[in-house]
Amino acid sequence: MNDAYVVGAGMIDFGEHYDQSFDDLLESAYLALLDDVDHGIDPQADIDAAWYGTIDIAGEGSSGASVAHATGLFEKPITRVENACATGSDAFRNASLAVRAGAADVALVIGAEKMLDDTAGLIGSAALERLWRGRGVTMPAYFGMRATRHMDQYDTTREQIAQVSVKNHENGTKYPHAHQQFECSVKDVTESPTVSYPLNLYDCCPVTDGACAVLVANEDRAREFTDDPIRHAGFGLSSDSFQRGGDAALTNFPASRHASRAAYEMAGIAPGDVDVAEVHDCFSITELVTYEDLGFCEEGQGGQFVEEGRSALDGDTPVNPSGGLLSKGHPIGATGVAQVAEIYEQLRGEAGDVQVDDPQVGLQHNIGIGRNATGAVSCVNVLQRP
Amino acid sequence: MSGPRYHRTRAQDQRLVGFECTDCGWVAYPDERRTCKSCGAAPAEFEEVALATRGEIQTFVVQQYLPDDIETPQPVAVVDLPQVDGEGEAARVYGLLTESSLEEIDVGTEVDARFREMFADGTRPVNSFKFSVPRADKAGDGGDGE
Repeated sequence: MNDAYVVGAGMIDFGEHYDQSFDDLLESAYLALLDDVDHGIDPQADIDAAWYGTIDIAGEGSSGASVAHATGLFEKPITRVENACATGSDAFRNASLAVRAGAADVALVIGAEKMLDDTAGLIGSAALERLWRGRGVTMPAYFGMRATRHMDQYDTTREQIAQVSVKNHENGTKYPHAHQQFECSVKDVTESPTVSYPLNLYDCCPVTDGACAVLVANEDRAREFTDDPIRHAGFGLSSDSFQRGGDAALTNFPASRHASRAAYEMAGIAPGDVDVAEVHDCFSITELVTYEDLGFCEEGQGGQFVEEGRSALDGDTPVNPSGGLLSKGHPIGATGVAQVAEIYEQLRGEAGDVQVDDPQVGLQHNIGIGRNATGAVSCVNVLQRP
Repeated sequence: MSGPRYHRTRAQDQRLVGFECTDCGWVAYPDERRTCKSCGAAPAEFEEVALATRGEIQTFVVQQYLPDDIETPQPVAVVDLPQVDGEGEAARVYGLLTESSLEEIDVGTEVDARFREMFADGTRPVNSFKFSVPRADKAGDGGDGE
């Protein structure tokens, strides 16, 4: 198998883009990518195939033809990937797989989502009518269940959970593409309106439009595009039941554990080797639990991990320098692609005000939810300076 | 509202019947399927088991932000319902709480399953189980009444 390298990235500012169509978002991310490639690119000649991540909540971009139309990459194989909230990271993984297998020398990964066109759809998907699930159980409720249990089982405090949001919002003010750029205190978080006890409004990521593209090339082609390619060193994807054993893991997400262990093994690293991470923080509790699932700390120690500043920009394992989903937003199909782009920037030392100190290994993580409270999907990618 | 979806699980929705995997012992509720959602046995064999009406809250949330036609605050819990004969694993179920004050609810709180109207399918009420703190345990209450 060949190695695969990230050789370019382009993203748009995440936010409210009522004025832009789905095509506009895809075009903008694609053009930003072309502009970002250090040595330039002739896309028609250089790009062999594309992988496209979207849930298509807005109902505008359902197939690979959406990418062909928006980019002008006609007559090429373009595959849409949809895998819950891990859609973007799995699109990246699939492009990398094709490059590794030799089926494509250079592959485009592009993810986009318009979340704001149909917020009723998101609430509606809370399954109003399934008797056995409880009426109107929403995403904040699924994740809030973990928070209640984590506090009870490990004496995690409400303030520790809020500190995740405080950290990520502070980072977000320094990251130009973040949707919601404001700082908040622990008190601001705990006194913001209750969405689903114990989670408040500032514990929840905003509803955000966005798009992002990255370019993946094999070892032979990578240096045509840049002198500073970043190696895709490992990945893991794990799928669970929607209610594995009746949601046995009330305080964690087994899929994240399986996916990260597979990625670590493939990359030949341990959790302690990770210098910077962009992880799924759809809610503050999600990131706190993810510290444990990814092995950054022991089970039950997530609260202390954030309280001690270990996941801060200047901590030993900086997590979500970009502001994370909490500040940056979570346009589902774009989310994972953007996280890959952010790790790419970090490893190249191009992350500006959120640059961490000389990282060599970066990790990107998404978790996707299913019909029940288990994280039914998780995808982890490890990037590394060659 | 989906009529077919409701009818597909009608028997389980109206009786506390679970399905125990003979390979791993996990108890499915309300679905009875042909593969096990815990150990992955395929095909799996399930035995019907009767579930107790009293269980224990494993975790919960109280939903505040919901579509307008749903009453808030809306407490939702994961409840473990043991088997009536006291053997085997409990069924882990999602349930709405009813007739309970928020102060009474915590991890470890015992609750009773109660048959209640969940919502309406057109003009017809659709009934299934909600959970509440046992009435006899409530201060100032004359008893369970059942």
